Amino acid sequence: MPEKPIKGEKRYFMTGNEVVAYAAMAAGADIMYGYPITPQNEIMHYWTRMAPKYQREFLQTEDELSAGFTTIGGVLAGRRAFTATAGPGNTLMQEPISMAEAMRLPMVVIVQQRGGPSTATVIYSQQEVTMTTFGGNGEGYRIVYSTATHQELYDYTIKAFNTAWKYRLPTFVLGDGYQAKMRESLTMYDPEVRGVTMEPTEPYVGKAGTPGVDREPAQYRNTYNVEEELYEVLQEMEKDFVALSPVVAEYESLAAEESDLVVISHGVVSRAVKEAVEELRGQGLSVGYFRPITLRPLAEKELRAAANKAKKLLMVESAYGQMARLIKDEIYGCSAEIDTLYKPGVGITAEEVANKIKTLIK
Amino acid sequence: MFITILSCEVHIPITKRIVEAFVGEYASGKSEVAVNRALELSRSKRPVTLVDLDLVEPCYTLRPIKNELIASGIDVLAWETRETLGLGEAGNIIKADSRWALRRSGDIILDVGYGVDGSRTLNLLEGSADDKDLKIVAVINASRPMTGSLEQIVEYVGQLGRVDMLINNTHLGDETVAEIVQEGAILVTEAARILGIPVLATAATTEIAATIGSEDVKGNRVWPLERYMPRTLW
Repeated sequence: MPEKPIKGEKRYFMTGNEVVAYAAMAAGADIMYGYPITPQNEIMHYWTRMAPKYQREFLQTEDELSAGFTTIGGVLAGRRAFTATAGPGNTLMQEPISMAEAMRLPMVVIVQQRGGPSTATVIYSQQEVTMTTFGGNGEGYRIVYSTATHQELYDYTIKAFNTAWKYRLPTFVLGDGYQAKMRESLTMYDPEVRGVTMEPTEPYVGKAGTPGVDREPAQYRNTYNVEEELYEVLQEMEKDFVALSPVVAEYESLAAEESDLVVISHGVVSRAVKEAVEELRGQGLSVGYFRPITLRPLAEKELRAAANKAKKLLMVESAYGQMARLIKDEIYGCSAEIDTLYKPGVGITAEEVANKIKTLIK
Repeated sequence: MFITILSCEVHIPITKRIVEAFVGEYASGKSEVAVNRALELSRSKRPVTLVDLDLVEPCYTLRPIKNELIASGIDVLAWETRETLGLGEAGNIIKADSRWALRRSGDIILDVGYGVDGSRTLNLLEGSADDKDLKIVAVINASRPMTGSLEQIVEYVGQLGRVDMLINNTHLGDETVAEIVQEGAILVTEAARILGIPVLATAATTEIAATIGSEDVKGNRVWPLERYMPRTLW
């Protein structure tokens, strides 16, 4: 039995990519499959540096299509498997992820968003929201956590493994190039010390016994002969997802149901929003914020409450409205006016958010 | 009237050429230490060349502050994206000026970025094998998980190739307090003893350095650091 990579808990100074690799180690992930792409490379670097010591495995595939499919292979064989990607790699990975959606298989994917379309920049954006939440063909179901700090990268990477295996859904940790490369402190801990028990994994195929006699047959399908057959399966999936959504959905807010203006943002941008809102509240302005932590499913009830109480909503993101489209769909029919601050592919400062807020409320 | 000039500058014989290469773990603080060292030497009117030897992401580290450093009187050798072929994230050609940097007169500070190959990266520089002034300094932050204990530091430095000195750069970013730096000083000094090499200094931000004084708990010189890297890309 190899020693645990993280014993007890301790404060460290780290980059976000390292945090993800350590979190996956701490979560007991068995194997990472991956293909290099900036800005997620150090996840692979650190995973491969630690893997021999802690008896974990790594497979570098020929591209992200393979990285996605081999991750599914690992999962089917009973391994706690994961992968990480970004940008055009995320595009390629949507096909295997769709298959996991169809087969209702767990899968953990870390996405460190970079600029797009195509290769664009290696640095940063929030332009992979649409693809990460709804990137597959058909209407598959998945869970997406959008992190804002290194502590959250650690916490939610561990949590993603449990969410994925508990609900048997592809689960994403959506970071970005800034979070990937940025350095800050966090507490790393052995999940057990915090009372977090990892969901067990088991082989989905190749089990002992005769199917139908000793055990249920393992039938994982992504192909159906007729429309009605598919329709029936999709209805079941929809029902499951509707039921789990309120349990899985997470958000963070400040005065979202008692302010004239509520700023909505996610991920690293919410750090700037928080700072701006706290400063302006100190000056007596009626402003709050709402930050969805799960971009899918969204915390529908709380979002709609805020959108009905506030006079105005301000959507802020480093993309041209990808988060806003998700939110607008969820709050359809609510009374608040909507304004936006979009800066696709570049960072947003607290000062810019504060200035925008001041033009909207006096 | 007497005017007293308070000074904590390091006294270096003016004739001796200073050549220091900062190596170490990714995000250990190599660039911050190197930039500060170059500026410190430059302020004492010494001619200084600062070389960015990040071979993995050669167009990012110092780029946003390159012109500021040049304006301070430092010769900065670092790629800019427009000068290179390819994507800039994975450069494959060493800058000719950098390859010959050790042949320059004056002081030379080498920032060996990313950390993967340690001091082996210096093999790319003409004259690195027999430069008598060259000191290879491993930058250690004992709050980094790969160098978080005495055993890890000793093991890690052993993997870097030739290392002549250690520098304690232990910190927790904005959360740093003097005790964190001092705990690092104890670990790094002990690691240096085991490795049979000296500790060059303990580096800490100006504010923290002021609370520690001119020497740390193990008697190592304290280098005050101005923070430049938060303004850079990574």
